Amino acid sequence: MAYVIAQPCVDIKDKACLEECPVDCIYEGPRKLYIQPDECVDCGACEPVCPVEAVFYEDDLPQELSAFRTADREVFDGLGLPGGARGHAPLAADHAVVDAVPAPSTT
Amino acid sequence: MTDIGNGLLQLVPRAEARQSMKDFKSDQEVRWCPGCGDYAILAAVQGFMPELGLARENIVFVSGIGCSSRFPYYMNTYGMHSIHGRAPAIATGLATSRRDLSVWVVTGDGDALSIGGNHLIHALRRNVNLKILLFNNRIYGLTKGQYSPTSEVGKVTKSTPMGSLDAPFNPVSLAIGAEASFVARTIDSDRKHLTEVLRAAAEHPGTALVEIYQNCNIFNDGAFDALKDRQQAEETVIRLEHGQPIRFGAGLGKAVVRDPATGDLAVVTDTDENESRVLVHDAHAASPATAFALSRLADPDTLHRTPIGVFRSVERPVYDTLMADQLDVAHELLGKGDLGALLAGNDTWTVAG
Ligand SMILES: Cc1ncc(C[n+]2csc(CCOP(=O)(O)OP(=O)(O)O)c2C)c(N)n1
Ligand code: SF4
Ligand code: SF4
Ligand code: SF4
Ligand SMILES: [Mg+2]
Repeated sequence: MAYVIAQPCVDIKDKACLEECPVDCIYEGPRKLYIQPDECVDCGACEPVCPVEAVFYEDDLPQELSAFRTADREVFDGLGLPGGARGHAPLAADHAVVDAVPAPSTT
Repeated sequence: MTDIGNGLLQLVPRAEARQSMKDFKSDQEVRWCPGCGDYAILAAVQGFMPELGLARENIVFVSGIGCSSRFPYYMNTYGMHSIHGRAPAIATGLATSRRDLSVWVVTGDGDALSIGGNHLIHALRRNVNLKILLFNNRIYGLTKGQYSPTSEVGKVTKSTPMGSLDAPFNPVSLAIGAEASFVARTIDSDRKHLTEVLRAAAEHPGTALVEIYQNCNIFNDGAFDALKDRQQAEETVIRLEHGQPIRFGAGLGKAVVRDPATGDLAVVTDTDENESRVLVHDAHAASPATAFALSRLADPDTLHRTPIGVFRSVERPVYDTLMADQLDVAHELLGKGDLGALLAGNDTWTVAG
């Protein structure tokens, strides 16, 4: 089980959640933040602080956002358990699910 | 023959199938405050348990009272949320009468060291086969933030508006003073280190005391930040490893040596001249003296020079085993007893109405 960061975070990334996480398992990608599901300890601290309500407990993720569960897991493929975001460079690329989110309109 | 060795875990039945972390999660909703360090400890314990491969029916978590003491509800094992400070006493009874159980105690700094201080030291001196996890957040969490026996002097809380006057206990020093056979310290957010310490404790025959620094983000937030912040931690944390010279600091530039004049331990800059004086950590030393001296290195206010890891791990006779042996001898000499007959006795009184 883990918490998941879903679509509302894309291109917002104000990082309020990152400050709260006691185990430092929220990693920054180019357009979204990602929770390492095997490092997350389900403490729930990140969820209430998100200004755009992007954070969900995995089981409470709305159906239409379920791809983000996969995104948060798969983006760490090959990275394993990095052991904390502070000592880690931001992720080089987003997951395909995030890439597919249209960029915010500038008009 | 008295078994003081590693055979004790073998008395606990093995799980029939391979286990995963999920098997150790109960169906209870976890009710600590969001962000509490207890979540990280719970996840580490649940993640570690499958490694032991013991039948869940033969694992018991006994706790006292406090936020930390809610732990047994969340473990899918047997458990008891018991009486304030009394978990070591209850667990002693269980461990000595049921050697086929793996018995764990979860306690807080208040539970273990205020009301339960007496029970704790006696469990430690007896060397009962218990694994005691002491969640130290340096505060009473459950009762909303009074100072505890591990709070720093001058702690301002609702119960000490002008600052606390009591000198704190250092739980590791206390345990070594009680001649505990296994004493370690770790940190809630360091999953890897916490798991290594749990592993060593689980394998230890006898009482293992593990102090876990735990953040209470509501009533004592940031109490261990000096040890968690990556940059500061280099200067503040001393990682003890058996058989290794004790060095720390940026580039491992500082070392622990014995001061030849006083015999006490001191921290020096690691140079070629004092290279040969650097203390090599011996967790298995029969005397607790050096382990105790290591436990005194930390500054209780700033937490600078805080050793983490296994301070002491020595084998000595285990109470449960000694008791079982005594019972065997009694059976041999006197035959199997009759508890009912003993209770009824043969010298009874009748109270006339
Ligand atoms: C006999 C008795 N005395 C006092 C209390 C009040 N009490 C409940 S928990 C607690 C201390 C909790 O502190 P700690 O053991 O550090 O646990 P934490 O909540 O910090 O995890 C106290 C004094 C009680 N429940 N029972
Ligand atoms: S608080 Fe919400 S919007 Fe901000 S980075 Fe975290 S998930 Fe994204
Ligand atoms: S639930 Fe807790 S551990 Fe998991 S990402 Fe959120 S703050 Fe971090
Ligand atoms: S009061 Fe403190 S120790 Fe208790 S659950 Fe809340 S954060 Fe954790
Ligand atoms: Mg406490």
